[in-house]
This record gives sequence, structure tokens and C-alpha cells, in this order.
Amino acid sequence: MRQGARLRLVLRDLASGCAFASMAVSGQLPLWTLGLYIVGLVAALAGKRLFARRAKLTALLLLGVAAVLVVNVTAGTLNLVVAACAFAGLISAHRLLSAPDPATDGQVHLSGLLMVAGGAALSGDLIYGVFLIAFGVLASVSLALGVVEAAVPEGEPLPVRAVLRPLSTGVSFAVAGAIAFFILFPRLNWNMTGPRAAPGLGPASTGFSNTVRLGGTGTIKGNPRVVLRATLNPDPGVEALGAYWVGRTYDIFDGLEWTSAGGVKHLREPLLTLRPGGDNLVHQRVELLPAYGGQTLIALETPSRLGNAVANSTTGSRRTHLQEMYGGEARFVESGLSYSYEAYSLPPGGSGDSFRRLPSVEQDALLALPEALDPRVAQTAARILNGEREPLAAAQKLATWLQREFSYTLELSGDREDPLADFLFERKAGHCEHFATALTVMLRTQGIRARLATGFFGGERVNDAYIIRAGDAHAWTHVLVPERGFVTVDATPPAHRPSQGSKWVQQLLALYEALESRWRNSVVDYSFRDQVDVARALVRPPKGSENPERSSLPPPRAWGAALVAGLMAYAAWRMVVRWTGRPRPLDATRFVDAVDAVLASAHVSRGAEETLEELDARLAREHHPITRALTPVTRRYLEARFGGRPLRQGEARQLLSTLRNAVSQHTRSMDRASRAS
Amino acid sequence: MRRTLKQRWARLRAWLTPPRTLKVTRIGRTYLVVTFGVGLGALNTGNNLLYLLLGLLLSMVVVSGVLSERCLRDLSVRRVGTDEAFAGEPFAFRWSISRKQGHAFALTLSEEGSPLSGAGGVGYLPAGVEHVVRANLTAPRRGPMRLRGVRVTTTWPLGLFAKTRVLPLEGLLLVYPRRGYACQDPGDAERGPVGDAGNPRRNDGSGDVTGLRELAEGEDARRIHWLKSASVGKLLRVEREREERRTWMLAVEPGLADAALERRCEEVAALAHRLLGEGHEVGLDTGVRRLRAGAGTAQERRILRALAWLGFEGDGGEKDEEAA
Repeated sequence: MRQGARLRLVLRDLASGCAFASMAVSGQLPLWTLGLYIVGLVAALAGKRLFARRAKLTALLLLGVAAVLVVNVTAGTLNLVVAACAFAGLISAHRLLSAPDPATDGQVHLSGLLMVAGGAALSGDLIYGVFLIAFGVLASVSLALGVVEAAVPEGEPLPVRAVLRPLSTGVSFAVAGAIAFFILFPRLNWNMTGPRAAPGLGPASTGFSNTVRLGGTGTIKGNPRVVLRATLNPDPGVEALGAYWVGRTYDIFDGLEWTSAGGVKHLREPLLTLRPGGDNLVHQRVELLPAYGGQTLIALETPSRLGNAVANSTTGSRRTHLQEMYGGEARFVESGLSYSYEAYSLPPGGSGDSFRRLPSVEQDALLALPEALDPRVAQTAARILNGEREPLAAAQKLATWLQREFSYTLELSGDREDPLADFLFERKAGHCEHFATALTVMLRTQGIRARLATGFFGGERVNDAYIIRAGDAHAWTHVLVPERGFVTVDATPPAHRPSQGSKWVQQLLALYEALESRWRNSVVDYSFRDQVDVARALVRPPKGSENPERSSLPPPRAWGAALVAGLMAYAAWRMVVRWTGRPRPLDATRFVDAVDAVLASAHVSRGAEETLEELDARLAREHHPITRALTPVTRRYLEARFGGRPLRQGEARQLLSTLRNAVSQHTRSMDRASRAS
Repeated sequence: MRRTLKQRWARLRAWLTPPRTLKVTRIGRTYLVVTFGVGLGALNTGNNLLYLLLGLLLSMVVVSGVLSERCLRDLSVRRVGTDEAFAGEPFAFRWSISRKQGHAFALTLSEEGSPLSGAGGVGYLPAGVEHVVRANLTAPRRGPMRLRGVRVTTTWPLGLFAKTRVLPLEGLLLVYPRRGYACQDPGDAERGPVGDAGNPRRNDGSGDVTGLRELAEGEDARRIHWLKSASVGKLLRVEREREERRTWMLAVEPGLADAALERRCEEVAALAHRLLGEGHEVGLDTGVRRLRAGAGTAQERRILRALAWLGFEGDGGEKDEEAA
């Protein structure tokens, strides 16, 4: 293998790997195809072309794989698009392991192109864009090296460095052209499917279940994956929101698990009204990302209305209804990989639910205690409250005591028979569920109605939205306060409420989230309306920048657009000037061309490399009749061409006319002579 | 009038001929199909990422066109030619290519409008360097071949399209008859060996003088060099190289045409090659031209050239054949 060819093959294989990765990041490909491809790619990168000698025989393997995929599609366990993408990946892997020849190279690149197109259909993530660019660059360099290699004679090295420089410029222009095309090409399709949903790599991490079981380690707390993205109106404008995002509540505790009293309250509603709202509701446009993995709607505490929900799946997006469960939970009727919906929430400070409006089952459940509750719990609560009967004050007193006397930990190995007593009297350390359970149960032992609420705590600002991570999952207590309804009281120490993941990982992910958010806004959700906005933005000021004192001058953007237009006009003018001012053939040269044309009509032509002067001399020796007219023409041409006396206006026409007359006379005399003979 | 029309037609044809020709390669065809599919998918689904991919694919097509055009600009080609070309077998042919500024990649050179098959390539051509490109060309038939121009093709940068530019360069390549085996015997020599062919071991031929020595007893007195003998004062005899050459006058019978003529030319060429290789003198009579008998490689070249022109006398003179 010649020098440089090895590099070309490595680049080719890496480009194929990037193309496959652009599909794999969607997380929808079957794991076995992922494994097979990775094995193939690693072997190819190591230079092991395992199928080089058995290309046709090993192609039968692909038939087997295709059969498995068809069976999966027929059985409904695999989407057709996903199956096609997986098969393209396996074809590419087969080609990677085959003997490297020009035909194989072309097949690898084309299968890579198909995989990238498949990745566009499966995934809308930012990382897809990264792999797309990487594929474009690597495949272009590999193709270019292949083209040059084909032209370089055998035995000579490939000029790799010389190739890279113009090619990098070309690829940069191609990327810029792609962006320009993307921005300017009119979106002819009006039925926008919106952002596609892809679960991404790794399982969904935060699923709401019907129960909350105490004990075990709090691994979720360290998970930095983003599960929710929301824009708020009015926008609080703070970097860290520090708000409670509620999912569902639990009111029955059996000593080990929390459960809810009821089932489905309303079956299918496009818009759910949980409680009456007011004028000061906080509007949220919420997007539950594939990492969320549940069907429970999340909203800022305390939700009033929820609706306009859209479930996104691999096959597209569709509107979905909601169902209301007892315990204030709202669920999507149809399952999807991700969801988007709108929610309105009451401002913090109380739910507005009155005690009398609660169903009797719920009223009773709010005071229910486990049968085998350790008596020390009630004794301790009474001792701490010391006669305090006002619900909110009592809750806050107990919460303060818990935060002061107990430590926060995620390391709780082993199952306990009575996890609450273990937390309160033995270990004296736990996570948010232990704190919230302890506060709720201790309040109930004193006759104060309370329930456990689960959801998320926090809100990290990224661009114009707030994101919630899986590690922000949290549990707290709702205390029923007369005239105010349920009020949130959190017993967990404040420092341990938000995500407990590694800081640098969170920062890294925050950066990725910021880029991802920009990518979604600028690329994935770019629409015809945005195109119109881009055009308008060139001549109009951006929204919200209007000054109360209106200026009579155009906005700066209009000046900018005018400047760009002016520069383009100047460039066009320069091109026209350069074209019109390009060096042209000399007048004398054009004149001699015309002389040649006139002479050709008299069947007199110059020989190869015979100058006009030599022709004239030859004709003079032969006593040719047109010599008399040709000699002054020749002399004048020589003066014009070499003597610094250019032809005057109309002089060439006059000379040519004289010559033409002489030629026509000669032609006529020749005709007469031929007729006479 | 006819000439004017012919000139006008030639001028019109030159005007209509595009300066560059573009051909889609095999991988390029598939690339375009995929691009079309992606475009269809983008329009049908409104998937923005497909629009982005479509933009990238189309941009690469445009960039490919621009880069290949830059490769074919400012090129100068000179035909170095070949030493000898025989019909039906590859012969080394060379062009010299250079450019004043900029780089060129993956250039393939071939002869435009000629039946010559084969091409030469250069992977990288920097500015200001004259690069000699070598190709193994094959001519299908004997005779003079008018060369109109050099076709320069590049598939740079991605191999999707092959862009071609023809650099006009007049020339003529004379292709000798196919090298083969002569089944026929050359016949009797016109003249037999001169000198004493019966005693080849002796230097007593009629060729060039090889030396002088004293005349031995009983030797032929006609070999005495009288002038030298007079100056030395004793009889000296001249030793001359023994001449064993015979002379053949090969002929191509008049009236032959097409395959028969080709076959006869090949036979005569093969005979001439064999006889000249054996040191004999060979002449040629083609009916329209007669070559005096001679020996050596120069004579073989003359014979081959005459055979190559046989039947193509109307195609122009032999004076410009050196251009190739």
C-alpha cells in the first residue's frame, strides 16, 4: 500500500463511523446492530479486512440480518425507518471489512450518506449536527485523496498536504453554502412536523411511579441528564429559579411506601382545569425530554390548568389528551418519547383548595398513619411542637428541627423494616424522601393534615428557558392550611435540594444544553416564519427595541442591509469594469484578420507561419494583380502593429474597401478569362 | 463559396462547442440520486435537518464545480510525443504540462479526436513546474494520425464529475505497421555477396579497409596496395572487411487495399526488420515510392515510415510528422 493510501482508508472508515454515530445518537437502533457495526469499524480501523476474500459469501450474512430486521418490523417491534437505517449501517460495516478498491470506497461513502440522511430522520440533537459536519469533512478528504491517488502513477507518493489546503477551503465554502441554503431556501412544506423525539443514548432516568418507597440509595440525585425544558411568562429573569415543579402527590403511607387513594378522575380531556385560577397565573411552555421517561405532567407549583399537549414519537408528533388522576396528577393518554404542553400555575403561597371541597376519601387519607408506626414519632413531634397547633407554623417548626438535627446523605445501603424510625432515631441521615416523609407523618401524628409531593426542585437558566435535570428530582410536604389550602413546606436542608451531580459534569452539560437549545431554536425549529423574520430583520429593528422617542432615521439594521447591498453592487460594478477593461486583441491584429478574410475570397491564403509581409513579397514576385492594393495595406498594417502609428478611425474600413475592390476586379477578370478559354 | 460555407460551419461548430464538458461519474450518479431523494424527503416532511443535509450536498456539488474549474485553468500543454508507435501495441507517449499559477490535481491527459486509446495522469501539478506526463497509448491502425488537441480531464475534488477541457494542439503521429511475423520468404536477393564468400574466415572481402600486411607467397596480386608498397619498398596487400551483405528490394504490390494492404505492410515491415537485423541491405518499392536499398536502423525507420504513409498519401505531407 502506497504512502497516503492508509490515511485515506482510515479517514474513510472514520467518516463511516461518524455517519453511523449520527444515527446511533438517536438511541433507536437495536443494540445488536450497534455492536456488530462497532466490531466491524474497529477491525477496519485496525486494518483487518476480514471479508476481503469472501465478499460474496459474507454478503449472505447481510441477507440473514435483513431477514431478522424484516421479522422485527413485521412483528411491530421495530420501526421501518429504524430498520432501514440499521441495515444501511450493517451494509457499511460489511463494505468496511471488504477489500479496499475504488468500488468499495464508493459504496462505503454512499452508505455513509444514506446513514446521515437516516440520522436526520431519527434524531434532531445537536450532536447529530456535529457528526454531520465530521462526516462531511472526513468523507471529502478521503474522496479527494482517492481521486488524486487514482491519477498518481504507481510508486509515487500521495501529495497529502497539498491536497488538504484547497480542500479545506472548499469544504469551508460548502458548509457556508449549506448554511446559506438552509437559511434562504423557502420552506415549501407547511405541515411542519416539529422537533423529532429521540430517546438518546441511555435509558430514561426519571419515571414517576405509583408508589414512593423509602430506602435504597439516591442515585438519581447525581444524574445530570436534562429532563425538562420550560419557558415562563412572566419571565423571572433569574439564573437559578429555585422553584418547586410538582408531578404528583401521595397521601397514604403504610410505613414503607407512599401511595395515592384514588384512580382516574377524568378520562380524556384536551384541557384540564385542576383548580380555579386568577389574573396572575404563571404561563409555562413545557417540553418533557426523552430522558424524562414518564407520562406525568410536570408544572410549577401550584398548577391550575394544563393542556395543548403534543406527544412526539419516532413516527412524528400528534396531539394527545390528558387524564386527571386523584391526587392532583395529570397524565398523557398516549405514550411518546417526549412531550410538549402548556401549563398555568398559581403564584407560590398556597393551592387555594379548601378543606371542604376535598372528597371525604382524601380528607381521611390526609390524617392516615401506618398501623405499626413507632410511638416515638408522635412523642418526638409533640415534644418539638410544644403545643403549637397552627398547621403552617407547626410544619415550619418541625422542618427547622429536621434540617438542624439530621444530615443529608444518599448512601443508604440495605433495606430497613421501619425506614422512618431508622431515619429518625438510628441513622439520623437520609435523603429528601426521608425528610419529607418524616415531616408529613409527624404532622399527621399531631392532627395536622399533610401529604407527600414529588416532582423537581430548581431551574437552571439556559438562554431564554429553564432546564431541570434528573438529579433535581425531589420530594417535599404539602400542609393543609385553612383559607390557603395546601402550602409547601420542605424539610430537606436547602443545600441538598437541587441536583447533587458532579459540578464540572453539570457545567459541561450546561454548555451542551446551551448549544443544544440554540441548535433547536435556530436549526431544528427553523421555519418559514423565521425566514420571513430574517428578511424583515434586515430592514426593521428587532422586537422590543422600539424607543418611546421615535427617530426619523432608519434603524441600524437597515443601514447594515444598505451597506451590504452597496458592497455587493460595488463588487458587481468592479467585475463589469474588469470585464470590459480586459485586454483585447490589438486593432491591427483584428485588421489583419479582416485582410485574410478578403484575400481568402480571392483564393489567396497565407501559408503556415507566413507573415503578411512575406505574402505580399511572394505575390509581388508572382506579379499578382492584387499586389498593387495589398502593398499599401501591408505597409499600413506594419506601421500600426509595430511602428507606433495606430489605425485612425475609419482607416481600416477604407483600406479594406480598396483591397476588396481589387479582389473583386481580379475575380471578375479571372472569370472572364476562364469563360473565354 | 463552398470554402466560405465550410469555414462558417467550422466557426459555428467551434462557437457551439462548450469550453468544458462535464460527465457524471458512476459514484456521482448515485450521489445525485441520493441528493434528489434527500430533497424530496426534505420537501415532503419539512425536516429541517434534511434541508441542512440537502444544502450541504448541493454546496458540495457547487464547490466541486468551482475547484475542478480552477484545476483546468491556466494550463499549458506541449506534446513531447513518442519515439516510435506501432499499431496494436502500447507505446510510450508523453506530454509536458504546466501552469503559471495555482495548483491542479488529478489531471488525466489524452488525445482528443483520435483513435488512440489510453491516458496519462498527474496527481499534483504545482505552479511553475513543467511536469512530463507519460501514457501508454495504443493505436488501432497504421498510418498518419492527425492530432487536434489534448484532452485534460479531472475528477477533482470528489470524483463525482469528470470535467474536461480540450487544449487545441495540432500535430501528427505516424503509426508504423503492426509488428508481426512474416510468413513469406523474401525471395531471392537482387545481388549476391560481393567478394570471396567461399572463405568467410579471411579478411579478403570488398568492404572497408581493415589493415595492410606484407604479401604472402601465392596470394592474389590484385590485392597489392601499390602506393603504400612503393613508399615502404616491399609488397603490401590490403586487407578489406569481407562483405557478406545481400540486397533485397521488397515490394508492396499496387492495387492492394484495406485488410490485404495492411497485411502486406505488416509482412514487409517484418521482413525488412529481419533482413536488416541480419545486416543485409533492403529497399522498398511501393509503386508510388521507391526507396533505395540500404542497411541499418535508419533504413528500417525509412521503410517503416514509407509503409505507414502507404495509402494515406492524400492526408498531407510527411514534413510535419515530426510534430508528434
